[in-house]
Amino acid sequence: MESQWLSLFDVTIDFDQSHLFFPRIVTWILLILLAAILLTRYRLLVPGLKHAGRVLAGREGDFDRKRFFGTLALTTVYFYMMGVLSDVFPNTGYSFLICSIVFVFLLSLLYVGQLSRRLVVIIVLNALIAPAIAWYVLAQLFRITLP
Amino acid sequence: MDILSHLTPMFFGLIAAGTLIGIIFGAIPGMTATMAVAVCLPLTYAFGLENGVALLLGLYVGGISGGMVPAVLLNIPGTPSSICTTFDGYPMAQKGEGERALKTGIVASIFGGLFSAAVLFFFAPVLADFAIKFSNVEKFLIILLALTVIASLCSNLLMGIFSGVLGVWLSLIGTYSIMEGGNGETRLMFDFMEYYLIDGFSLLPVLIGIFGLTTVLLDAETGFKGDSEHGRISLKGGKKFSFGVFKGQLTNLVRSSGIGTFVGMLPGVGGSAASVLAYSQEKNFSRDSSQMGKGAPQGIVSSEASNNALTGGALVPLLSLGIPGDSTTAILIGAFTLQGIQVGPLFIGNNMDTWYLIIIALVIANVLMFGIMYFAIRHIAKVIEVPKYILYPLIIMMCVVGAYAINYGIMFDVWTLLLFGVFGWVAHKIGLETVPLIIGFILGKSAEVYFVKSLESYGNYSIFFTKSPIAMFLWVLIAVSLAFAIYLNIRNRRQPEIES
Repeated sequence: MESQWLSLFDVTIDFDQSHLFFPRIVTWILLILLAAILLTRYRLLVPGLKHAGRVLAGREGDFDRKRFFGTLALTTVYFYMMGVLSDVFPNTGYSFLICSIVFVFLLSLLYVGQLSRRLVVIIVLNALIAPAIAWYVLAQLFRITLP
Repeated sequence: MDILSHLTPMFFGLIAAGTLIGIIFGAIPGMTATMAVAVCLPLTYAFGLENGVALLLGLYVGGISGGMVPAVLLNIPGTPSSICTTFDGYPMAQKGEGERALKTGIVASIFGGLFSAAVLFFFAPVLADFAIKFSNVEKFLIILLALTVIASLCSNLLMGIFSGVLGVWLSLIGTYSIMEGGNGETRLMFDFMEYYLIDGFSLLPVLIGIFGLTTVLLDAETGFKGDSEHGRISLKGGKKFSFGVFKGQLTNLVRSSGIGTFVGMLPGVGGSAASVLAYSQEKNFSRDSSQMGKGAPQGIVSSEASNNALTGGALVPLLSLGIPGDSTTAILIGAFTLQGIQVGPLFIGNNMDTWYLIIIALVIANVLMFGIMYFAIRHIAKVIEVPKYILYPLIIMMCVVGAYAINYGIMFDVWTLLLFGVFGWVAHKIGLETVPLIIGFILGKSAEVYFVKSLESYGNYSIFFTKSPIAMFLWVLIAVSLAFAIYLNIRNRRQPEIES
């Protein structure tokens, strides 16, 4: 009787399909949890989305759109250009060095509040020295692969 | 005697450098020990395992300890684990006792750190010996228990569980590895993605993205309003520190260190929980807690002893079971993997030299942390004035190095860093819990292997309940953690009603 009851839980895993066995279970659990979250929070969902839209559009809250989207844009361009330049200077780390100098300079300018001549000098020196040290220590001394 | 050959000036120098850099990271509000370890990880590529781990442990101990500096001087916890240090540290600093408060915290920190190193040394091998006997069923249940405990301690149980399962799901993207007994087929992706995702997302770019880039984005959206706007309190003058402040504090020190070590052992619970728990216990059990919250050194002692005790505690499940105790040790797993070492029950037995060096490094890191912070606290305090517009671009630059070098130069890993940096920001906004997500991501593939192999061997789901008394005991622990979480959720919901 007990063995009949236990046989309900028998399972055979087809080797050809075994790569999908566990992911299917996890996907179902994930969907059930998502449904539970949506059911328990559906009242908050629409107002929350509307609020997020207004904040991102700059109509509400203290969201600093310039610095946030500027960071995203500069980082994306930084990564893209590093990939492009690494084809021009393969296995040297020059792509990392050049792109990092420009990136550090521009991002520091984006983040700094009020600009003065002294601050510009600090930012320029930081943008030149820090990536150069990183490139020299990592690529030249430690032989770490850089773009 | 092989061990002595590793104790080189380089070994000690790296611990010292790691501790100093960690203190600096910890002392800057918004930057954590996890971020310090993530950003400095690329440096370990060039070192061997022992030297690499020495650097990372220094960063870990320094990062946790440095958090007390802004907690005392700015009323902002430098790391989440210093949250309770603000309660008494800042009032003391306002009374002109800033240096006294910091030195009290430093002494408590070294006590907590060394206490947890001792627990790690004696307890981890015992746990590992016990865990060697585990079959795939028990190993799967241990992972399930770890994820349940993490999720149950999140502010929202449902979101915590969802985050953990999402982490597992993300880890399954890629090939079902033949090396692990799989069939070598890909899953959870479209055909055009196979070129990039055949091995799934690499662990380190995901970690660096979520803990590095996400932090920068979260600060960027605020426009760095907190940057250097706070009125810093001078350390000069005021009441001097003396060791007499610890008179009658031994019980507090031992209890708080014990709490910190225990909380560290629980996967994913985090330093803030250790700090809060130790502080509240001191408040409940001390003879005179009337001054706590108004500038009592005993509050700093409990908070700092507990958060530094977390370091050794978090290494216990990592080195004995292969399960990270917190987000920082999750990155340490990446460092071990990078050196071709798999942490788990066999790690200590198979790598005795490395094991002893880890303990030595942890002890030295704590001693150096004490030396650096105690004697140079006035200089370290100046670190909190370094502006973010200088630091954050460099953080992103170092994140790139870490992500790119992990697989010896794959640009997709750099894009993964960006993808998960943005994902981490969105997760933060919609209330997803980062720690269960990361732990789920790290343990997901192992969970699959243990789950599928158990079923292939026994052919019945009931084996997870009936395999052994250990399996049954693990189910009891899972049920208890879930019941505790439901109780906490109900209590938290009722609390506002009662207050209103």
